[in-house]
Amino acid sequence: MGIIYVLGILIIGALAAFFVDDLNRKWTGPVAMLAGFGAAAAFAFLPGGIVRWRILGFSMHWETDALAGFFAWIVLGLSALALMYSVKYMEGKARQGYFYASFLTSVAGMFGVAVSKDLLSFFIFWEIMTWTSFLLAIYNAYYGVETKGIKYIIFSAIGAYAMLTAIVLALGQYHSLEFSDLMAAGAFRFSSGNWYIPVLLLLGFAVKAAVLPLHVWAPAVYPKTPMSFTAVFSGAMSKMGILGMLLILTGIFRSATGWELTLVRWVLGWLGGLTAAWATLQAIRQNDAKDLLAWSSVAQLGYIVTAVSTGTRLGLMAALYLALLHAAFKGSLFMVAGAVEKQAGTTDFRRISGLIKRMPWTFLTALIAIISLAGIPPLGGFVGKWLLYESLISETHAYFLVILIFFASTSAFLYSYRFLFGLFLGQEEEEAKQITEVSWWMLIPMLALSAVSVVTGMYPGLIFRPAARALESIGLPAGQWDMSILSNVWGNQTDVFTVGSTVGILFVLWALFITFKGKKNTRWLTTKEISTSGEIPAPEDNCTFQRGFFQPFERAVGRLYRSSMDQLWEDIGAALEAFFGFIRKIYTGNAQTYAMYVIIFVVLLILFRNYIF
Amino acid sequence: MVVSPVHLIAAPLAAAFLIPLLNKLYRDAARVVPGVVFLYNLSVSWILVNRVFRSGPIVEVIAGWKPPFGINLVMTPFSAVLVMLVSFMAFVIWLYGFRFKRSLKGGVVMYYEILQMMMAAGSLGIILTGDLFNMFVFVEITGITAIALTAFYRDRDGAEAGFKYMLLGSMASVFLLLGILLIYTQTGSLNMAQIAERMPAVATGVKVTALIFLLISLGTEAEMFPLNGWAPDAYSQAPSPTSAAFAAVLGVAAIYALARVGFTLYDHGTVSGFLIAMGFLTMLFAEMAAITQTNLKRMLAYSSMGQMGLAMIAFGIGSEAALFGALFLIINHAIIKSLLFMTGSYFIYNLNDKRLRALNGIHKRLPYVSFLFALGALAIVGFPPFSGFWSKFYILTAAGAKQMMPLIIGILAVTVIEMTYYLRVIGRIYFAKEESEPASHKPSIQALVAMTSLAVLIIVLGLYPDLIAGFLHRASMFLLDKQTYIQTVLHLS
Repeated sequence: MGIIYVLGILIIGALAAFFVDDLNRKWTGPVAMLAGFGAAAAFAFLPGGIVRWRILGFSMHWETDALAGFFAWIVLGLSALALMYSVKYMEGKARQGYFYASFLTSVAGMFGVAVSKDLLSFFIFWEIMTWTSFLLAIYNAYYGVETKGIKYIIFSAIGAYAMLTAIVLALGQYHSLEFSDLMAAGAFRFSSGNWYIPVLLLLGFAVKAAVLPLHVWAPAVYPKTPMSFTAVFSGAMSKMGILGMLLILTGIFRSATGWELTLVRWVLGWLGGLTAAWATLQAIRQNDAKDLLAWSSVAQLGYIVTAVSTGTRLGLMAALYLALLHAAFKGSLFMVAGAVEKQAGTTDFRRISGLIKRMPWTFLTALIAIISLAGIPPLGGFVGKWLLYESLISETHAYFLVILIFFASTSAFLYSYRFLFGLFLGQEEEEAKQITEVSWWMLIPMLALSAVSVVTGMYPGLIFRPAARALESIGLPAGQWDMSILSNVWGNQTDVFTVGSTVGILFVLWALFITFKGKKNTRWLTTKEISTSGEIPAPEDNCTFQRGFFQPFERAVGRLYRSSMDQLWEDIGAALEAFFGFIRKIYTGNAQTYAMYVIIFVVLLILFRNYIF
Repeated sequence: MVVSPVHLIAAPLAAAFLIPLLNKLYRDAARVVPGVVFLYNLSVSWILVNRVFRSGPIVEVIAGWKPPFGINLVMTPFSAVLVMLVSFMAFVIWLYGFRFKRSLKGGVVMYYEILQMMMAAGSLGIILTGDLFNMFVFVEITGITAIALTAFYRDRDGAEAGFKYMLLGSMASVFLLLGILLIYTQTGSLNMAQIAERMPAVATGVKVTALIFLLISLGTEAEMFPLNGWAPDAYSQAPSPTSAAFAAVLGVAAIYALARVGFTLYDHGTVSGFLIAMGFLTMLFAEMAAITQTNLKRMLAYSSMGQMGLAMIAFGIGSEAALFGALFLIINHAIIKSLLFMTGSYFIYNLNDKRLRALNGIHKRLPYVSFLFALGALAIVGFPPFSGFWSKFYILTAAGAKQMMPLIIGILAVTVIEMTYYLRVIGRIYFAKEESEPASHKPSIQALVAMTSLAVLIIVLGLYPDLIAGFLHRASMFLLDKQTYIQTVLHLS
């Protein structure tokens, strides 16, 4: 019954937050936070169990097996921390009741998706999570009233309705919506004759996971949503697409060989790889931390999709590992962006820099998360990348894909650097002097998420264990794993714990050294203290280093940027709008015309009556 | 208490004639009497619905002339569900409009109330009657009252909308009469059960021609493309409670008549393809037109047409699941679209501006009304866990059972359009920068009660659709069972 309690706590929390906001604004955030932690605690301490009930003759089936548990933990853990962060982050903002009610309902939706064992409840929760996240995405401002802002919901709708089409067709064909029944009947196989069922379902999941031609909503929406929700949006909600893919493709993976597996590996794998590469290139040129992180999310999801597409032991382990770790580090990075936004008023690299002295803890979080994101040892991200490469090289032999992924993840250094440098390093601006560190309410969740990266860097087995169980629970073989030893097929072994602790100790020593040495000899300059060119900048001039950052790079790959998928979709949208405008003219508003329509219709019907009736 | 279906029609009609007299005695009679009548109707229909579902259809013989002679009223499970719906909605709409035009004394309000009541009586008549010519009479009653209500505001726009409606409405009546005439010459009867019995013997050419005439006329009332030119103007010019009633009372009756002709007078197979095709076109063109609208009420009107199109598709598919979905959709449409018109009218009342652009940031002034509008918008698009989801899902399931993939994709593609414009409005209401200066017309208590009860229904039916599922299954099964209908009506013991 744990499932019911978790959902109940979330829904009651949502209602409570909505109404408490009218009574006393101060309590809205804490109430929501309590609900978030309460749900996580309920999930941790109560047995999940199985819930089955019937509605309109359809049976609903919710169950917390290992796979559901794995994703439920991503959702509930990250959401609880994000809600804690949110208490101070949202302080003083309007419509908090609305915000938290949508937030908690959305979390309930995601949790429901994770535990659903039949397609109908999966779809219902999926839709709940979609519309609540839409309400949150437009919280800050209803941007682009005409065609732009509604992008997210249109893409979500296309995805969701592709799913719904598949669901009703599957129901018509197999008379059941249970995943297990459908799997047994082979409904998710391309070779079943109903190839469109898995294809449509995958299309729906691909939208949420922001896979290449369908990714454009993510960079548009992530930066606009309040950061405390973006952490969950990017960290947890996008993973629901990954979960869906896993559930659908299991049947194909089990068969181990065959053209279906090859097809998945080629199409999905390459789409994931291209998404990673393309989004990385886009992330590099962003001037705003939020935009950069949004594109980086898309890129990271590309890796995960590629990892899923391999369908091998190591590949799937890598997918689950990266899914959890991405939730941790991208969650904390969005929180960092939110913290900077709250304290400095902007996250534009060209307007702020050198926050390291003002916000040291935030910087520490950002540093850890970025190292993890870039996949540099000894933090957790490295292990995930390692697994991905190993599976691509040793199991699927997709060498060109490896090159593409390698290109993407090395290019990721560029934006990682830009993010870190742009916000925290460099010279301090005059205006930045009065910026202070954020409250501990915000720091604790950020540091907690950083701790995940650090700990998993030394003990990756902490994630391997639940991941292996999750894979076994859907009948897939899990890869070999060890608590802190990585090995490869050629017999090499590395104890990541030793590596991690060595690097960690060196880092601490180096940091201490720099700090104490630096205290004496360094003379701190601001950007205004330049006199090399004989020009003295006025106080209002912007001399931040970030102006024209990576200009040579942009010049080098500039051609690539000109083609934009976004533009294509917008053109399609505009064309449709124009077409609708044209169609609308059928309703001329002229009574004679309408009367004529009636007559013409009668005549046509009578003329062709033999064909029509 | 001994009640019969006749009461449902007779009570509002009698009250409508008595109101002018009563109004002389008591100043506010015109406002109060309809409520009493609708409440009476509601309780009568509740008793009758229970009776129908417990012990089978009720056939009410008027003036002792047994069928096939004379006029009879037939209350089958299918019509019982719709009677209940119409009675309930008529009452809720009356409640909502209780303080309508409070500033105007006497006459104007009286006309409005009389017309609303006549419209409800006519609609109930269409649903209850078992006689084809009698149905024509009721169609005329509803049509004329609806036209009068459309032209209620005596301005240019109102007159124009009324004229369009009258032109198309009278063409529809002519075709209906022609159709009935053809059928009468062939079968020698006006009783629907007897016509249904004798129909197989009729020559195909005449049969189909009569069908075309009937479909044209009833299609006009049911807002079928391309006969629905009257709808956008009528919905947007009529007083707000009337717009709601168009969706919740008139629309229900019209779609019922269409279904009755298709399923009882004729064979479902004959009209199936036609209904699916025209339903889809109706939906497609209506939603495409809706997304380009700049006027709130017109947008809602086009959206209504879209919903009617979906209902036609469901009747066209014609399996038990599809009819279940269709009935659920009609119920949802009545509830949700009324809620949207009711809340939308408060926006317009406050802003004095029907344009969508004026809605920017209105939630600050009307928080509760905005909340209800948003709820309605999410529900009508079909987001779970609201009731709109189940009807759409059931219809799609029915299409899925017949593996009609293009139709499913078509319906869902159109739904994307629908979703886009509704969510755009939600975005405007909550998040756009406020443009116009505040006015202060808070909703009246009665209107609040009416709107809240509809909203509660949306949520309850969404979370627990099994509440009405049993009724709807029986009703849809009965519509498919033509023989029982004929037997029950013609062979009264």
